[in-house]
Amino acid sequence: MKLSAIWEFIAGDSRLAPLAVAVAVVISVVLLRTSAPSGVVAMTFPCIIALGLAASTFERR
Amino acid sequence: MTIVLAVGVARSWPIALRGAAYALGVLALIVAVFGPALHLIPIDQLKLVVGIVLTLFGLSWLRKAILRYAGRKALRDEEAAFARQVEALRTADDVQADRIAFITSFKAVLIEGLEVAIIVVTFGAASTVALGWSAAGALVAVLLVVAAGLALRAPASRVPENTMKFVVGIMLTSFGTFWTGEGLGIAWWGADLSLLFLAMFYLAVSGVLVAAARAPKEVPA
Repeated sequence: MKLSAIWEFIAGDSRLAPLAVAVAVVISVVLLRTSAPSGVVAMTFPCIIALGLAASTFERR
Repeated sequence: MTIVLAVGVARSWPIALRGAAYALGVLALIVAVFGPALHLIPIDQLKLVVGIVLTLFGLSWLRKAILRYAGRKALRDEEAAFARQVEALRTADDVQADRIAFITSFKAVLIEGLEVAIIVVTFGAASTVALGWSAAGALVAVLLVVAAGLALRAPASRVPENTMKFVVGIMLTSFGTFWTGEGLGIAWWGADLSLLFLAMFYLAVSGVLVAAARAPKEVPA
């Protein structure tokens, strides 16, 4: 089975949604390393995911 | 269920059920092998990986459901899918037909069930007890679908499939966000209670997106 097929099976045909998840993870790691309040990270993370969902909804494929 | 029903109606019930049973066996094997194997990975790394996979999975389901609600993607037509399969099997060469019927039933259950198997394995990643409950939930769902199929003997065209996918998408995205956060070291407010807030947040965002993505109605001249 091709890796791309497995990827599409998990993430669907959107490119922006997985990108948003990656960005959310990276930003959260950076915030946690810089000792940002956990509440701020806890709000930032789902907001970036939601932005990714919004971007993928209007994504042209 | 639609494709298994089509195979049963167009060709033979024993072949349709045998194909479905073999696929369920493969799915059970996947859960039995990968479920306990996940417990060998340290819990924080496991939560991070499982969380990311669930979030991706959830976003994919949610996006499709939003687009369908907004009228930008066609709703799945179970009756059309049923008719297509019946026609394909009826026109198949008689010698090949049994083999095609078996493979069709097997593939349909395996592909649709694979998503469920991944969800069962990831939700059961927390502990052996969680895996047991997760697998039991999936088993109950399979039994309900089989019972409905045998009772109706018709495609489940009245099941609100998009609503179910929308709800599952919200749940998967919420659990995925929660576990990814826990894996990263985020201290969620209210601990497990924050799952409810995450679900409400994604529900609200999705509602806004459905309204925003809805294709504008043409105004008559």
